[in-house]
Amino acid sequence: MSQAPANPAVLSRLYLNAVLPCLTDLSRQDPAAREILGDLEASIVLQIVGGPAATVRLRQGQVACENGSSRAPSVILLFFNDRHLNAFFSGRTWAVPLPVWGGWRIELLSRFSKLAQLLDAVLNGKVPVLATAAGRRLHARLSLIVAVLGLRSLAQGDQAAQQTLRSLPRGLAAFSIEGEQGATIWFDHGSLDYAAGWGEPPRRPDVRITFADMNVAYSAMRDEIDTLAAVGRGQIKVEGLVPLADGLNVVMERLRVYLQPIAP
Amino acid sequence: MNSTSNRFRRSQELFERAAKVIPGGIYGHAGPAIGLPGAFPYYADRAQGSHYWDVDGNEYIDYLCGYGPMILGHQHPEVEEAAARQQRDALCVNHPGPIMVDLAEYLVSLVEFSAWAVFGKNGSDMTTWAVQVAREHTKRRKVLKVAGAYHGMDPWCTPGHGGLLDEDRAHIHDFNWNDPESFDRLLKQFRGDIAGVIMTPFHHPVFQPSQMPAPGFWSHIETACRREGIVLILDDIRAGFRLDMRGSHKHFGFEPDLICFCKALANGHPLSAALGRKELRVAASKVFLTGSYWNSPPPMAAAMACLQIMKREDTVAALRRTGEMLMGGLVEAGKKYGYSMIASGPPAVPFLSFADDASLRRQQRFCAEVTRRGAIFHPHHNWFLSAAHTPQDIAATLRMADEAFAMIKEEGF
Repeated sequence: MSQAPANPAVLSRLYLNAVLPCLTDLSRQDPAAREILGDLEASIVLQIVGGPAATVRLRQGQVACENGSSRAPSVILLFFNDRHLNAFFSGRTWAVPLPVWGGWRIELLSRFSKLAQLLDAVLNGKVPVLATAAGRRLHARLSLIVAVLGLRSLAQGDQAAQQTLRSLPRGLAAFSIEGEQGATIWFDHGSLDYAAGWGEPPRRPDVRITFADMNVAYSAMRDEIDTLAAVGRGQIKVEGLVPLADGLNVVMERLRVYLQPIAP
Repeated sequence: MNSTSNRFRRSQELFERAAKVIPGGIYGHAGPAIGLPGAFPYYADRAQGSHYWDVDGNEYIDYLCGYGPMILGHQHPEVEEAAARQQRDALCVNHPGPIMVDLAEYLVSLVEFSAWAVFGKNGSDMTTWAVQVAREHTKRRKVLKVAGAYHGMDPWCTPGHGGLLDEDRAHIHDFNWNDPESFDRLLKQFRGDIAGVIMTPFHHPVFQPSQMPAPGFWSHIETACRREGIVLILDDIRAGFRLDMRGSHKHFGFEPDLICFCKALANGHPLSAALGRKELRVAASKVFLTGSYWNSPPPMAAAMACLQIMKREDTVAALRRTGEMLMGGLVEAGKKYGYSMIASGPPAVPFLSFADDASLRRQQRFCAEVTRRGAIFHPHHNWFLSAAHTPQDIAATLRMADEAFAMIKEEGF
């Protein structure tokens, strides 16, 4: 894959559209996340000046994320540009967003910050997370979500990814882990805006990539497994449009340029 | 591989061992990932004529022919005797043997436009070298190729993704098969800097039906190359000697400047060759070419025998007849079950696919069922016929295909 440098605008969209949505699964899967959330009912908008925004809704211990800014949010966190948001998400302490609305909601902001730290620890595979089977499972699930949802941001803005995608057959690819509920994530290379999501895909996938279990998914997401051998051993099944799966795997490798070390 | 399957128990055991000590377990085009994991055998045990047996004792009518080389069938007695006789004299010595000169002379006499020949081991050896000769001859940088075409495993052309730099392909540019306009655009964009155009005689990409050249396409390319002083390289690795003994360009009515052969050249013995016009002779002499085993005489003796047998027995015509019988029968069998089949490529190098199966699922299921019954059908890669395939083989294959069509129909594919 290309060694072309990361595009800050693509990275900010990856954070907003692929990383942030992981909060939904984190809150579903991790009791620690639900404990942080408690009985919070609020919405937080993350907005780049003149750029994209995302809304995070917290309700009854669950998180929902959507593109764009919602009306009357509890808090609006403003970023001056893509680089500002990118620095914030990559943990730079100086990159504090401007709370243009709701800055007085100290308790809400504090809990959101804790939730973000938990997400960061899981995605980055911090030692305490990977020390337990539950942590490794979460890491694998969320890494898969970022990788597949991230395809959309790459497809929309990363030139190297776009070049690879142009050579691929059109179709919908669905990635899943056997035995894991709600861990089917899909990317539609046939749609105009490169739709992506998780749950059952909107139509029958042209290719299904299935990891035999969480351990295989974990190893694959961390690039610790010989995937060709895994296919031969039946640990990874690729059914249908093989060249699409192969090509998307290459595009996912571009994530390393952007999200190291949280990329698969 | 499906762990519940006893059919491939030995293959599975070997693969488990391989996965520990060999990256990918089996790498390259024979790797499970490009075939049908669980439905294809992984390891072969022996082969004879048009059949082979996997390590679990399952027998197959072979429609891959070692992915092309076995044009006369496995263990052809005359070819094997020629190679064995030569090996008794010398396997790998310090100098080439007389057979190298004999073979070069014979090939040059076969391929009318050529004045010289060189030898390597694999297709990539020759295609990469040919590109260098084109650059040396023209003192230009750019090389044009067809998008999706396979020319080997070197960085300028590998279909793989690992270990590549953007710079590896800085001067390699793709145009579309049967699209003279996309070719002309590159011609205009890089006029005066194009060293060579490398193409296969017909387009045989993986995962897709093969495409024959549209009327006028080859003459368009040939005319432009002549006009612009571009070296036209024919990659005849896959089709060579299956369409015409004089090179596949004769089949399609054009003439390249360089031609690369491999696969069918020596009926399975490791040998490749490149032949060229006399005008390229000096450039060819300047491009370094060697390898540890490249002077080994036995494969050259095998090639000489193979070429002479093919000529004597008119293998090209035999392959065409067998291929037509097979593909015609398959299309008819599909029709019987309501399937619209595409028989693509020349009959000697055919490929079968379903007309309305963009996801390839039906194709994969069908090929798995035929393979299970005893004829190996690759769902993603073109097939190969050999002179050893008999009418009985074809009839047996068509029976298996009929059963497979019936089964997938019942399954709702």
